[in-house]
Amino acid sequence: MTVSALPAPGAPRDATLPAPVERVLDNGLRVVAFSQRNLPLIAAQVVVRRGAAAEREDEAGLSALVAALLMQGTTVRGATDVAAAADALGARLDAASGFDASQLSVSATTPAFPYAFALLDEVLRRPAFAPREVERVRTKSISDLALTYANPGLVARLVAQRVAYGGAPYGHPVAGTIATLEALGRDRVAWFHERFYRPDDAVLVIGGDLSVDDAFALAERELGSWRAAGAAAEVAPDAPIPPPRSQVVIVDKPDAGRTALIAGRVSIARRSPDYYAATVAAAVLHGYSGRINQEIRVKRGLSYGAGATLSARRMPGLFTASTLIDHTRAAEATDVTLAVIRSLVDAPATDDDLVSRKATVTGAFYRAIETIDGITGSLAEHALYDVPLAELAAYARRVQAVDAAAVRDFAARAMVPDDFVVLVGDASKFAAEIARTHAGVRVIPSAQLDLGSPALELRSAADVRG
Amino acid sequence: MNREPVSALPTVPAIAIGVAPIVYADRTLANGLRVILVPNRRVPSVAINVAYRVGGKDDPPGRSGFAHLFEHLMFKGTARTAPETIDRLTEDVGGFNNAFTSEDITNYYEVVPSNHLERLLWAEADRLASLDVNAANFATERDVVIGEYDQRILAEPYGMLDELVNREAYSVHPYRRGVIGSPEELNAASLDDVVAFHATYYRPDNAILAVSGDFDADETSRWVDAYFGAIPRPAQPIPRVHAVEPEQTAERTFEYRAANVPLAAVEEAYHIPSAAHPDAPALDVLETVLGAGRSSRLYTSLVYDKQVATNASAAADLREHPGLFGLRVTCARNVALAVARAALEAELERVRAEPPDEAELARARTQIASSVVRSRQTNSGVALMLVQSTVVRGDPGLVNDDLARYLAVTGDDVMRVARAYLRPENRTVIEYLPA
Repeated sequence: MTVSALPAPGAPRDATLPAPVERVLDNGLRVVAFSQRNLPLIAAQVVVRRGAAAEREDEAGLSALVAALLMQGTTVRGATDVAAAADALGARLDAASGFDASQLSVSATTPAFPYAFALLDEVLRRPAFAPREVERVRTKSISDLALTYANPGLVARLVAQRVAYGGAPYGHPVAGTIATLEALGRDRVAWFHERFYRPDDAVLVIGGDLSVDDAFALAERELGSWRAAGAAAEVAPDAPIPPPRSQVVIVDKPDAGRTALIAGRVSIARRSPDYYAATVAAAVLHGYSGRINQEIRVKRGLSYGAGATLSARRMPGLFTASTLIDHTRAAEATDVTLAVIRSLVDAPATDDDLVSRKATVTGAFYRAIETIDGITGSLAEHALYDVPLAELAAYARRVQAVDAAAVRDFAARAMVPDDFVVLVGDASKFAAEIARTHAGVRVIPSAQLDLGSPALELRSAADVRG
Repeated sequence: MNREPVSALPTVPAIAIGVAPIVYADRTLANGLRVILVPNRRVPSVAINVAYRVGGKDDPPGRSGFAHLFEHLMFKGTARTAPETIDRLTEDVGGFNNAFTSEDITNYYEVVPSNHLERLLWAEADRLASLDVNAANFATERDVVIGEYDQRILAEPYGMLDELVNREAYSVHPYRRGVIGSPEELNAASLDDVVAFHATYYRPDNAILAVSGDFDADETSRWVDAYFGAIPRPAQPIPRVHAVEPEQTAERTFEYRAANVPLAAVEEAYHIPSAAHPDAPALDVLETVLGAGRSSRLYTSLVYDKQVATNASAAADLREHPGLFGLRVTCARNVALAVARAALEAELERVRAEPPDEAELARARTQIASSVVRSRQTNSGVALMLVQSTVVRGDPGLVNDDLARYLAVTGDDVMRVARAYLRPENRTVIEYLPA
């Protein structure tokens, strides 16, 4: 063994994950249980398979409001008493919603868990939705939007959703808009909860320091009596996702410190057989040594950082590459970003290149499953998207099996062609330059921007004043 | 809706939380490096921590902020490696790395897939043995740290509060200089200071290596011997801080005004003993009773009931040398600081006057015990608690007694430490006001 040279890595080792076991309760609730007894901790997550994608356009923000209000009091205890009960149990209790689902999660030490799980049941099934709390959460959500709108990176993401999806689900903001939040009240909150929070359209994942039999018994004891309020929820057929189209949308925000840039397109659903190739393809672009950061930051110093994300969902989700740049270099960054995405086909990664990129994917996965909350979340995601649970144990092998041809092939189909570009910044410094080399450039003054509209712009000058 | 009748949550009995001890191997190499290994083959990932027994309190005279500046320089390459080698060895293989400097410790850590452990041990030994800082990257990194000062201390609302607390509460002990230092003293630092600092503190007998995760203990021990074992132990002694802060006998108050203060705030800082002192667990329980979660006394009284504060927190800052118990209150809009302070004082009188009842004590114990258990979930959490316990309390094994020590704290203990330390003449008050 020589001390002077960096040693080579050893052979990678695989993880042994606890085997999940499934059962469906009489009320239709799908229960996934696992046992992992290295520490006295148990976690559970109830995933209701409806979230913001089930909202009407004019009620954007409703599912988020419902999730936030679950934590603000039940029919038997007020908001502070819910917090006090969780504290007394040393439990963590949280609620959240996204496009595809709404979820409640809890974790606690083994002796406290049965009580913490009963608290989750109470919060899930008996929310008070007290008018005072509805008003308080709504007011806070509206003031949070002011912070969002001041941030060019967050605005660019919301604009990108609209550009990609228009009026289809995934187009509107999950957090709503000031107008939609102002129109929402207790009745609609209760309606959403009654209609969509139901056992026959939900999954419970529960695991940690207990046997799977005990997990099922606990699930039955607390949630076995959960009944849906009526017939299965009917959701209006989704508006079709518009086909990807090359376009440049600029939001002129002269007060932005820097310009936020996002390029991408609608790409892939979570259940797609291409999921692993897509994940590796995104990793070729993402990370410090990923191509986007190398070109934008390391070679050109255009930005402190740049990256790529892939959000695979029930329906095809977005692939995006993004960065923050000086206004005067936004045109250059646009061309560099698009060229980097195209390089997935023009200068495809070799199998050798993929070794380190795949390692970033599997490394992040192994860190995620170090905790029972992480395992619970990963199983919940598999269950939500009807991916076989056995795939979780095979995750690293599936990633390793992706080869250069698969990455190039996927990129050529669903990442490279027809990318949109969204820029949010001081358009006077870059819009003309971009218009010289790109067709179909649209500039929206930020005062005219309406994220509540599929077309993104306020309809009339009268609306602007409102 | 078809729902079963409402039933109240069953009363929670006293919860007995137990956890198996962390099993670790602990040895010291001939050159003085302490090595703690915690094999755990559940997930193919490993956490490496290299902690140096040097922090803000050890900054050279006239060089406040130096230990922290130096932490940044440890990423700038060595005789054998290019700058940012550690970043490439971690991020590019699916891991990450970072470092922090506190008053007592500078800790470097990585999490990597376990087949990369040997490479990180090599790289950590390499930067302990040799550091290659030149004038150019020294100047760049110093600007980065001053930028961090501007951003974190000057630009953030209340950013100066921690600095003021340390500066005003300590009259003699170097804890008064804080960790981030001052731009003037950072600018005064030279490349010679860097070389001297590395030679003084970055030596095997001033370091603790902890590795937790998926590895074979024998194989790893051989790697540690090969890469770290050859690093010589310097002959000169390691300088240590021996300053003793004299007992405070009268309340001190300091008023600070700044432009970016949205709401008036106050911190009361009380001297408390070191982390190794027998009162430490009771002080942690006192912190929880007063300030942890929305059911804590300060939140319930000041924020929820009286609505005189938007925020009220308590923190037992237990250090290697005697630390501080901080009570921090941010006033609600249009509430005078005196009103919020009176409400805080009422809570202090209460905790000094009578012990918390069994239910409240049980809640505090459960909160602490649950966080002890949670902190053991990750390899990085385990490695960190072992190095911190070694540096700050002198013994890694104390992590296995913590739960029992917290559970043994009685209501009378909580009242006793409140009376002993939360005394007006033992406190420094920082009033942080809009300009």
